[in-house]
Amino acid sequence: MDTNTEQLKPLIADEIAALSSINVDGLSLDECEAKRREVADTRIRLLGKKSELANLKKSIGAITAEDRAAFAQNVQSLEREITEAIESAESSLDRKLADLKNEAERVDVTLPGRRIAPGSHHPITVLRQRIEDIFVSMGYTIEDDREIETDYYNFDALNIPENHPARESQDTFYTTDGFALRSQTSTVQIRAMERRGVPIRILAPGKVFRRDTPDMTHTPMFHQLEGLCVDKGITMAHLKGTVTEWLKRLFGPDTVTRFRPSYFPFTEPSAEFDFSCFKCNGTGEFEGDRCRPCKGSGWIELGGSGMVHPNVLRACGVDPTVYSGFAFGFGLERMTAMMYNIDDIRHMFENDVRFLEQFR
Amino acid sequence: MNISYNLLKDLIDFDLSPDETAKALTRVGLAVEGVHTVGGDFVLDIDLTSNRPDCLSHLGVARELSISLDRELKLRPVEAEMPMPPVLAGDVVRVDASDLCHRFTARIIRGVKVGPSPQWLVERLESIGERSINNVADITNYVMHELGQPMHSFDLDKLSGNRIVVRRAADGEKITTLDEVERELDSSMLMICDAEKPVAVAGVMGGIESGISDETTNVLLEVAYFDRASIRATSRNLGLATEASYRFERGVDIDNLKRASDRAVELICELAGGEKGEFIDIYPTHQTATIVVSNDISASVKRLTGLNVDEVECDRILTRLGIARQPDSNEYKSPSWRHDIAIEEDLVEEVARHFGYENIESELPPAYGAGEYLPSEDRIRSVRSALSALGFSEAMTYSFIDVEHDDKFDLVTVQDSNSGFVTLKDAVIEGAVRMRPTMLPGLLDAVRLNLNYQRRNLKLFEIGKAFIGGGNGQLPSEPRLLTIALTGSEVFASTVADGRGQDLFDAKAAFETVASTLGISMPEFRSSAAKHLTAGRAADVYVDGVLAGSVGRLHDSIASNYKLKRDVFVGELLLDVLLSASPESVVYKPLPRFPGVSRDVTFAVDRNFQYSSLAAAATTDDTLFDGSKLVGTFERDGERTITIRLNYRSDDRTLTDNEVEAVHNTVLANIQHSLGLSPKA
Ligand SMILES: [Zn+2]
Repeated sequence: MDTNTEQLKPLIADEIAALSSINVDGLSLDECEAKRREVADTRIRLLGKKSELANLKKSIGAITAEDRAAFAQNVQSLEREITEAIESAESSLDRKLADLKNEAERVDVTLPGRRIAPGSHHPITVLRQRIEDIFVSMGYTIEDDREIETDYYNFDALNIPENHPARESQDTFYTTDGFALRSQTSTVQIRAMERRGVPIRILAPGKVFRRDTPDMTHTPMFHQLEGLCVDKGITMAHLKGTVTEWLKRLFGPDTVTRFRPSYFPFTEPSAEFDFSCFKCNGTGEFEGDRCRPCKGSGWIELGGSGMVHPNVLRACGVDPTVYSGFAFGFGLERMTAMMYNIDDIRHMFENDVRFLEQFR
Repeated sequence: MNISYNLLKDLIDFDLSPDETAKALTRVGLAVEGVHTVGGDFVLDIDLTSNRPDCLSHLGVARELSISLDRELKLRPVEAEMPMPPVLAGDVVRVDASDLCHRFTARIIRGVKVGPSPQWLVERLESIGERSINNVADITNYVMHELGQPMHSFDLDKLSGNRIVVRRAADGEKITTLDEVERELDSSMLMICDAEKPVAVAGVMGGIESGISDETTNVLLEVAYFDRASIRATSRNLGLATEASYRFERGVDIDNLKRASDRAVELICELAGGEKGEFIDIYPTHQTATIVVSNDISASVKRLTGLNVDEVECDRILTRLGIARQPDSNEYKSPSWRHDIAIEEDLVEEVARHFGYENIESELPPAYGAGEYLPSEDRIRSVRSALSALGFSEAMTYSFIDVEHDDKFDLVTVQDSNSGFVTLKDAVIEGAVRMRPTMLPGLLDAVRLNLNYQRRNLKLFEIGKAFIGGGNGQLPSEPRLLTIALTGSEVFASTVADGRGQDLFDAKAAFETVASTLGISMPEFRSSAAKHLTAGRAADVYVDGVLAGSVGRLHDSIASNYKLKRDVFVGELLLDVLLSASPESVVYKPLPRFPGVSRDVTFAVDRNFQYSSLAAAATTDDTLFDGSKLVGTFERDGERTITIRLNYRSDDRTLTDNEVEAVHNTVLANIQHSLGLSPKA
């Protein structure tokens, strides 16, 4: 055993004892950082270029050949002991430091996220898009057209004769040039059939205008949605099937429909259609009270429908002895009001953000 | 329309309860809205469609019930009677306007005692919502509700010359009607007159002077058929709608006049005494029945409704409805009380509604091609979603606006000088006769409304049509617009703390986001002189060089019209310009393999300097130049600086300082050359 390493051993034992006696418990961030600096100094003092150990290593040339292996082993073992002690101290201090720093960054995780308030889609848009999606998946093409129309498209082609009550100007807005603001989206039926010919399956959502003074259930502008299917062999059974299918997709598979005879100039035969109330499932009662959307009847009256009148087909150049078709239509505001229990449909056009932001 | 359950039972035997009756009627298209109890009777409130005036009577409703009951109506045959010979009748009734009065019948009853009606009649009238007046007036009213034929009774002794002339009014002639209103007439109106003057507005309302009073002893009962359009026009022109005009303008049964007259006369003689005279019937041209041809009604029902109804059942339903199939023929004769049966499809509906719509199967049409959205629907949907994510709420405003907005806004919809406004003949919302050429006024109304409700931080958008041009018989154009309005600060979803105040650059950002969402090139913003915007904070928006709209701070004069005291930023774009711009295609560039070098350069500029000119000038043909971007602009004590970052990069090597310096100097020289600007030391 060489004397130099022997002399170093007790010194190093003290240093190692000091290092392993470091207790991080209860240290403040400052104390911890001070201790960490001390350990860094220790590392330089014991393992640095000018340390005793470094000097020892340099002296290896002076060691006799037979002692050299043992000497090297001693030095290495000393070096390992020191390194282990320092690294152990460093890592416990580093862990503690990280903990202390993270603790200083502790936040109240229940505070809200930093999110810009999102805007909203108009409820009419929301419902229109949902219904469009359903019909596109059923093979329908979405159509729209002019909102200001000639009498021909708004009335004549729809088999509404000159003296028909629906044509009286108290219902229809006219421009000073004598054009009509379309009073129903059925105008799109005509233009689409002219453009595309038959067979045809279209859904036409859009704005329509009637001279109603605004009140809780009327606005002079509103939205209608009109469906049209013309092909060989189309019957009222297909009308019933189609209307029932999309209502099921919108309101659930238990929805049932009811068709009642009615009258529209552009269909023959004609029918109004109702569907079983989505709220009370047709029972008329909800949570022990009279159900509101259906007014206790269990049925919600939705729209008009029927087989396209032969005069309408003829007006579009379609032979009614070869082709037949159904059409149906309904108002989006009324349906939206019913779905969301909105008591006053004027809200739809007032644009009070307290109303708008409820719809996403 | 009120139907008495008891009166219905006078016309047909049935044992349905009032509720069952209501269901049976609703099922065939006579929608019963409610059933009420009145005294010992039930009243069914029926909402009739406009094509069924024949059901404006108990007779018509009973006929609808007769199909499912498969039972005859309890109607006595009309008594055959020779009418008064025309030579004699002419002394009592003369029809001068037979184009407007297709049939006129009358009967004189002498020795009548006018007085109160018996209790049963008072009650019957009460249950259908009518007030009792006197026996004669009540009887005519009652028979109208029973059989559907309006009629009028005159005091014969008050008719000058004791006679009736049916003629057009002379212009300026006057009559005071039963409602005690003096009405001025014109030559389009059909009048029942005596030898001198009008005594009743034909088919609408009687005159007050010739009416039945307590002193009346001799009655002339008029039961007639008038031209529908004429009655409608007269009723409208006089602003006078009555139960009679309502029925006449929709159409009564011209071949039912004698039955109705006989029924009323019988009741008058029974309840008021008196002796009836001869029946006067002026019916110059008998109405011909409409013939509908159907070669195979059962097949047609099947073709249109899918229902299987055999020919026997079709014929049974149609016969009960009075639609008689001519023996051994394919011709069906429409009854005189039905004005709505003209084509085979009408017959199909009659069969289908009585056979029952509930029996129609429910099936989907055979599969067909794929569905399609409107061509730009997916892109508009993404624009809506992008704006909504930015905090904009979608608004919807009326398409008609007040004329007061005229000339206050520069209109992006006006593409040439002769584009006029589109105007409505009249409005239901006061002043709103202009079809909007811009959506800004509507959106500003919404801003105003929300500020009133203390919502100070707003972001709104609308997508919709504007209307412009047309005239000379041309339909106006209907361009689609995207319009935004914003004011106040950025808002956070879950805290009340206001964010940054919004300004022009938030409005621009919205339009840039829209362009980015659509994948089109970034719009270009140039100083705008739009009159509704504030000079210096207004920009015209160009997309691929095409003017698409404007954006900026609302002009103070408009803001004050709306009583807006805060800065409001608005923008409006022609949606079709955005949608027709071609999306930029994606061209992949290999990732840079060598580091680039950036140099920030600051220029001292004056306040009116435009960054866009610097961005355009900061360029060179040298491929080592890798573009520039704004760092920022700063202003203090009237001195303004702009700092931009110039980037340099090579694809095949790391640039040396000398190389960078050389290109950089070229770029700076170009800036100096174009703008006369040198970097600030
Ligand atoms: Zn319900």
